[in-house]
Amino acid sequence: MKKLRIYIRRLINLWAREVDLMIHNPIYICCMVVFPLVVIFFFTSLMSTGQPEKLPCGVVDQDNTSVTRAMIRQLDGLQGTQVAGHYNNATEARKAIQRNEIYGFLYIPEGTTAKLVSQRQPEVSFYYSNVTLVAGGMLFKDLKTVTTLTSAAVGAAKLQMLGKTPNEIKTIIQPIGLDVHMIGNPWMNYNVYLSCIMIPGILVLFMLLITVYSIGTELKFGRAKEWMSMSGNNILIALAGKLLPQTLIFLTIFLGYEWYVYGYLNFPHPGGLSMIVFLAILTVLSSQGFGVFVFGLMPSLRMSMSICSLWAVVGFSACGATFPLFAMDGMIEALAQIIPLRHYYMIYQICIFNGYPLINAWVNVVALVAFASLPILVVRNIKRAMIEYVYIP
Amino acid sequence: MSETKNTTKPNNKRKANSGPLGFLSSLCYIWWLEMKSTIKDEGVLIFFLLVPLAYPLLYSWIYNNEVVREVPVAIVDLSHSASSREFIQDFDASPDVRAAYYCNNLQEAEALVGKQVVHGILYFPSDFDLTLHRGEKAHVGVYCDMSLMLTYKAIYQTALAVSMEMGTDMKKGQSMSFTERDEEVSTEPMVVDAEPIFNTTGGYGNAILPGVLILILQQTLLLGIGLSAGTARENNRFQDLVPIGKHYNGIMKIVLGKSSCYFMIYCVMAAYVTMAVPHFFNFTMLARPADLFWLLLPYLLAVIFFGMTISCLVRYRENVMLLVVFTSIPFLFLTGASWPQSSIPGAWQGVSWLIPSTFGVRGYLRIASMGATIDDVLPEVRALWIQAAVYFVTTCFVYRFQIINARKHAISHYQMIQDRIKTAREKRPTGK
Repeated sequence: MKKLRIYIRRLINLWAREVDLMIHNPIYICCMVVFPLVVIFFFTSLMSTGQPEKLPCGVVDQDNTSVTRAMIRQLDGLQGTQVAGHYNNATEARKAIQRNEIYGFLYIPEGTTAKLVSQRQPEVSFYYSNVTLVAGGMLFKDLKTVTTLTSAAVGAAKLQMLGKTPNEIKTIIQPIGLDVHMIGNPWMNYNVYLSCIMIPGILVLFMLLITVYSIGTELKFGRAKEWMSMSGNNILIALAGKLLPQTLIFLTIFLGYEWYVYGYLNFPHPGGLSMIVFLAILTVLSSQGFGVFVFGLMPSLRMSMSICSLWAVVGFSACGATFPLFAMDGMIEALAQIIPLRHYYMIYQICIFNGYPLINAWVNVVALVAFASLPILVVRNIKRAMIEYVYIP
Repeated sequence: MSETKNTTKPNNKRKANSGPLGFLSSLCYIWWLEMKSTIKDEGVLIFFLLVPLAYPLLYSWIYNNEVVREVPVAIVDLSHSASSREFIQDFDASPDVRAAYYCNNLQEAEALVGKQVVHGILYFPSDFDLTLHRGEKAHVGVYCDMSLMLTYKAIYQTALAVSMEMGTDMKKGQSMSFTERDEEVSTEPMVVDAEPIFNTTGGYGNAILPGVLILILQQTLLLGIGLSAGTARENNRFQDLVPIGKHYNGIMKIVLGKSSCYFMIYCVMAAYVTMAVPHFFNFTMLARPADLFWLLLPYLLAVIFFGMTISCLVRYRENVMLLVVFTSIPFLFLTGASWPQSSIPGAWQGVSWLIPSTFGVRGYLRIASMGATIDDVLPEVRALWIQAAVYFVTTCFVYRFQIINARKHAISHYQMIQDRIKTAREKRPTGK
């Protein structure tokens, strides 16, 4: 009983010391509160339109008839596209793409309308640049829609002449219709898609770095002995005393982020509140655990911070949220499993975004729990480092 | 500049302290010190050499497959008819998707999505065949897991293409035409030719990697410069960035000496990243050497002076990692490589003009992936030169401030020692 009281007293003293350190070093406030808030605001405001709108598109209209002009007006009327320029020939339009003025162009050769009415099957083309994939995809869709509609209008006119009803005409023009259900994100909102992985990724990055930084600076500034003696040379108490105040701050920020995107911006979250809170706790603990583990492996502030940054930054690509993991090489697929963000993404998309039960993501939960408990392997190493090592710049 | 003089070393430093020769020798001396500390300092070495060498390879490897093929899809065929099977066969035969599972109902298929073994569902209602041949519109349900845009795109576009193809075949029979040519014309009155003009494969790596490569150059430079500035400060007695010494009495010497060291290292790195890496992994590379040079020259200068300006904020060497690493992702988004530039809100456009990578990546993407010439990227090149000039001036200002600070510290320290000596002398005669 008495021992327990001593432990608690030591913990409280360590917490007080840690809070004092955090208040007096502006880098903590920056990296734990200010930068995360900036990043959350950055991504959600950058993509606040959801989909890119009014992408500039060029037109090369060498035919210049009422039919082609109607087609161009229709293109301009679509939400995703804006006709930004008329060019005399394809070369000029291509150069405009190279100057970054437009992302694609519609090419209507001379005589298109004449061929169209006299049933000589004219050919129009559109060119789109895939260098910005999102813009290329959007333009492809809109240009395809417009050209298909124009083409269908001719068929519809002929069918009307033959005495078909509007219903029949629709069926003949498109006998098989697709009912597309975009589960969870029917607006194809890129804000929902990208913010939900980029922001947590950066929060994880900060958690890893700050965890390592806060432990490593004890050595660097020669406070390690003081820290250890305050904990009675018990590394578990020392770590708990150091990390718990940070856990609370990280958790607040992470829950704040989740409130902002799910509660305020109303991103889809059929998984429900309990899952959201559960994932926040799991993410914070696993990131801290991983940070402590990396420092335990290499008790050098510089090396462990470098490793953590490289790890976290590779995570953005290797988590498989933008380019799917199953399409990567086998080695990379295996490598991705030791990146915390990969498991975060899997739990997020299975349980929160798609609302499946947690059992579907059990492997990932186990992985994150394993990350959180990794420090057990290295606490002795950290203790030895704290007592014996001297900081070498 | 000083590159040719690097063999002079500090041999003649004693001889001249003023005049152009003295300037040059000081410059070379600072350059030499910076070079030495770069090679000796493990941390700087990691960010100046290891990361720019290895990271592009890792990223290229990650995205090397470029496109998503054979996305697994679950099929729920309640129609069990010749036409639904034809649809499934065509769907399965396409390169981007494959029919991985056949389920009896939607619930089964939904569970498969939950287990992540399929990424979408194709659903044929029981009256699919009936409606199709009764002259009504038949419907195929496509359910996509939207957690991955690329799999959605593969499934949706393939289903659309197959449905159009089958529809056209259906139409031909009903078109009341005499010849095959008639059928062709009536089902397709206008031929539409869709051509991806640049990045023709639609590859993900080809789209995103050039941006990442250029960004790696910037971020590692910022990290390296920051680290070496932090080290310099930590090794300094008064925690100043600039030590006191006869070589450190001019702003230009320090700024030019240090920047030429970084510039020389990064000439090699930039050449490797923009020429060797695309060659290893067969990325689109349409750039001509001269254009590439005239873009990268101002880019490197802008980044170096940008880095030297912000390196004054770094008090401890490790802080630079906390300040710089997280910016990589926002900086990449600001370039417009993933979210189109025309859709970036005005305020963020303004912020993006402060950062060299914005113009560097935009210019490089167009030169390398679109075959643009230096004239086409002139606005970007101009912006980079302006940045280089502005950041050069700010670097000079912050270094001036640092030199003044260092002098102040030194003078106050000297004063303190003098005072101490004075008081000690005063005390001595009275004490003894």
